[in-house]
Parts: sequence; structure tokens; C-alpha cells
Amino acid sequence: MVENKIEQRRNSLVWMENISKKFGTITALQGVNFGVKKGEVRALVGDNGAGKSTLIKVLMGVHKPTTGQIYFNGNPVSINSPKEAREIGIEAVYQDLALVNLMSISRNFFLGREMEKKVGPMGFLDIKAMDTICRKSLHEIGIEIRSAAERVGSLSGGERQSIAIGRGVYFGAKVLILDEPTSALSVAETRKVLSYIENARERQLAVIFITHNVHHVYMVADSYTIIRQGRCVGTYLKGELSEDDIADLITGDREE
Amino acid sequence: MRAPDSWVLKIRRMFSESTVAGPLAVLIVIIILLSLFVPKFLSFRSITGIINAATLTGAIAIGIAFLMISGEFDLSVGTIMAVGGYLFGGLAMAGEPFLGFALALIVPTLLGVVNGVILVWTEIPSFIVTLGTKYFYRGMLWVVTAGTMLQTVDRQPIYNIFNGRLDLLNNIFSEANFRNSLIWLILLVIIFQVILARTKFGNHVFAVGSNAGAALGQGVKVKRVKIYSFAISGLMAGVTGILLFSQYYTMRVASGDGMELSAIAAAVVGGTLITGGAGSIWGALVGALVISTLRTGVVLMNIPFIPADNFEAIVGVTIVLAAILNTYLRNRK
Repeated sequence: MVENKIEQRRNSLVWMENISKKFGTITALQGVNFGVKKGEVRALVGDNGAGKSTLIKVLMGVHKPTTGQIYFNGNPVSINSPKEAREIGIEAVYQDLALVNLMSISRNFFLGREMEKKVGPMGFLDIKAMDTICRKSLHEIGIEIRSAAERVGSLSGGERQSIAIGRGVYFGAKVLILDEPTSALSVAETRKVLSYIENARERQLAVIFITHNVHHVYMVADSYTIIRQGRCVGTYLKGELSEDDIADLITGDREE
Repeated sequence: MRAPDSWVLKIRRMFSESTVAGPLAVLIVIIILLSLFVPKFLSFRSITGIINAATLTGAIAIGIAFLMISGEFDLSVGTIMAVGGYLFGGLAMAGEPFLGFALALIVPTLLGVVNGVILVWTEIPSFIVTLGTKYFYRGMLWVVTAGTMLQTVDRQPIYNIFNGRLDLLNNIFSEANFRNSLIWLILLVIIFQVILARTKFGNHVFAVGSNAGAALGQGVKVKRVKIYSFAISGLMAGVTGILLFSQYYTMRVASGDGMELSAIAAAVVGGTLITGGAGSIWGALVGALVISTLRTGVVLMNIPFIPADNFEAIVGVTIVLAAILNTYLRNRK
């Protein structure tokens, strides 16, 4: 059985308690409790429009919650922008907005955190160093690339996804949020991306895996939080539910 | 272990990865064809003529290419160039050439910033914003100058700095007419190419032009990058105004009208992607040279049904062909 609220708040790396979000008169989230521990893959599952992305946007500081409190390492925090989220170690990998297709792998890898060589007052990109480090750090988490200078646009969806994950890991993310990382991927590529997620777990990262594909998440998740129509249906540990149970809870064919 | 790449593979990779390789090949092919079939084409006189004609378009195209890579257009550069030309020429004629030079750089830069600020505040497409400011700036210029044309016969030394004869080269090559403006142009191309390809800011320009959402997600200040790119476009228009006045000693309110389109043409022929995110400053220079070479070729060939006045037809065909070639090269792996 899942721990009670106070235990969860204490034991989770990031913990969102009693989160509600209203947009005008529309209630998008109602008293949702959600969190993830170090070295855990927590699935956030729900149908389209259930409130998954609103919840994650609250965590990333895009939306301010109407009520509720976020805890990081047990301490209350307020996150007001994606930049602040990143500063405390929360990194999100979005499906289409992760990488710049026309740029090289290493330029993407270091985008916004470029390495520079100083020549007097001027700073120039240290492309050689960036290429080397990019290649090496992706290799360390099991991602092989042909060349760091290759354009991202010529890679497959799975390769792109894995580079975005590798980037988060390299830059010291403590919480990795993956938004539908396996939708639109082939079976072989899905398996690969799932293996990178397992790798991230082994490195003691907290992983939030957002999806509506029960089958993919069932293979890696340690626990599930199911939300429907803005409310938390429940949080379950691996093995408590079958794939069919989860699917029923997502669609509301069965009430707990 | 991978076998070392053959030179064929290396060249193929160069074509698919560099945006300037394709346009450069086009330029070389055109030069070879023209020198084979057009008598008198391969002389220092016509070559320096081609270069001089490409200088002004090339200078303005530096800023335009930079801005297009960031994903925006600037239709007001022709007008801004006239503003720069008036400031430089007017003040030089009034005995204040250095003040004129400074203002011809500062004011156009600020006009570019105004374009950028309107764009990021209103989120109206840059095509519309700068179409508006193109006419607005021109109208203001008309009011301030009362429509008077600048013209001078007084040959001041400052004009020579920008467009005097480059005798160092002219003495070596007979009949050559190299100009100082070539040195300025090459210097500016190098500076902006380095900024674009080798600095953090340049990296952000590419990212913003290709996928602004992803750039924002990585903490790139998208709005600031856009405003700076507009500032560069304005600055280069001002520089072009200085060069133009130094070359012709004259400036009218209507000067530079249509130059924005030649500059966009040069950038596109030079491999800059209209939708942003790819291109180079070298490429814009090569694009300006391609167009200028074709113009000279057409004039020298003396084709009865394509008189020099009808040169636009050739430019039009070149732009479309270049766009097709660039798309083909880019989509090949």
C-alpha cells in the first residue's frame, strides 16, 4: 500500500500537495496529490484532457496553482518560472519542443549553456570541447551517436528523445519529466528509450513519465498516479494493478 | 572501425552540411560558363565591376541574412539605408563627417531596434511590421529633409576611406578598379560570420530561427535575440548608406527603394532558409556576387530580347532555381 500523505511529503524528492487549478470558472485540477522519489519512475497516466499537462505545468512554474503547495526535499518551495524549476533541478523533456532540428547534436546539447573560450573580452564557442563532452556524456549513459556535428533533424524520433534525456542527465537534473516520450516511436525505439529511463533511475534520478499509453509505462514504472477529469483517482505501486485495471481507471469504466 | 572517408564522401558531406557550398558551386559554374562563351568577360575590368556592383547589395544582405536566420524579415532596410545616407552625407557636407558617420550607424541601429520591439510586443509578423515602418520611416525622412536631394562635388577624404580606389591592388592588375569598399565588406562579412557561427549569441540566433519554443525551453532569451538581430539589420543598412553616398556623392529620399528585395534575393541565393534557422553570411556575399555576375554576363552577352533593363527576369529565375537547389541539398542526407 502507498504511504500516507505525511510520509510521502517527507520521503519524496518532489511532492505536490492538494493542488487545485482553476482557469476562470473551469476547474482543471482539484486537490491532486502527486510526487516522485529519488530513483523512482512514477507514471502520471490519464486520458487526454485529464489534467496531466496542467499538473506538470504547475510543477514547471508555467502555471501558478490556485491552492496547494509544492515541496522539494521536504521543504516548501514556490516555483514561478521554468527557469526556477530548472535551477532547483527539475528538467522537462517535451515531445516537439525539446530539440532544434536544424542544429547539430552538440549545439543542441549545450543550447543555453554553451561552453566558451575567452579571447580578451570576447567569448567564442568552444566547439571542439562541446563535441567531445557531448559525445562522451551521451556514451556514458548508453547513447551512441555517429558524430556530435550531425544535424538533429536527420535523427530518428527515438534518438532525438534520448539526446534530450541525456542532456537533462548531464546537466544534473534531479527530477526528469518526460512528456509522452514513447508515443510516435517504433517498437525497437521505444525499447531503447525505456532503457534510458531505467538508466536514469539507476543514477538515482526521479523520473516522471507522462503518458496515456498504459502498455509502455507498465514496463518501467515503479508506481502510478492516475488522474481523471482533474481529480486524483489514486496512486498504486507496481504489481498492485494489471494493465487492464489501469486502463479501466483511466477511462472511468471502473470506480475505485 | 570506420574506413577513412573518400574525398567523394567528404565533398558530399560538405554539400549537405554547409549552406555555402552549394551557392559557391553555382557561382563557379556561372563564372566558368560566362568566361567560355562571353568574350571580354574574364578581364579585371569586368571582374572588379562585378565586385563593385555587389558591394552595396552584399553589405545590406549581411544584416538581412542574419535577421532571416533568426526567422524574421526586414522590408524597411532600403528606407533605413537612405536615412543613414542622409545623416552621413548631410553632416559630411556640413563639415561634420565624423559626427555624420557616428549618427549614420546609431540612428539606423535604433530604427532596427524599433522594428524588433514592435515585433516582440505585438507579435505581428515581421513582414507586416517592417512593411509599415518602411513607409513610415520614408515618410519621416521626407518630412525632415523636405524632400531635398543631397549632392556634392566636394571630394572629402572620408569618402575615399569608404570607397576610394584601392591602388595597392589596382597597380598590380591592369585595368582593375578595386575599391576600398571591398575591404570594408570583407571585414564586415568576417565579423558577422564569426558572431553567427562562433558565439553564444549566434548559436541562439540559429535556435530561435529554427524552433523558438525549444530555444525558450532551454532558457534562450528569444525576444532579446530577435531585437538584437533587427538592430544588426538596421546597422548594416546604415553602413550601406555610408558606402552608397561615398560611391555616388548623392542621396535622394527614394534612394534604396527595392534594395530590401535584392538583399533578400542575395541571402536566399546564398543558401539562407526563408523560414529561418539556416544560412550564412558568406552565403549572402556569394549570393550578391552570383546576381551581380549574371547581370554583367547579360550585359556583355548583348542578347537582343534580354536587354540589361530586363535583367530582373534573370534574377527571378535565379532565385527560384537557387531555392530549389538549396532545398534539394538540405533534404539529402
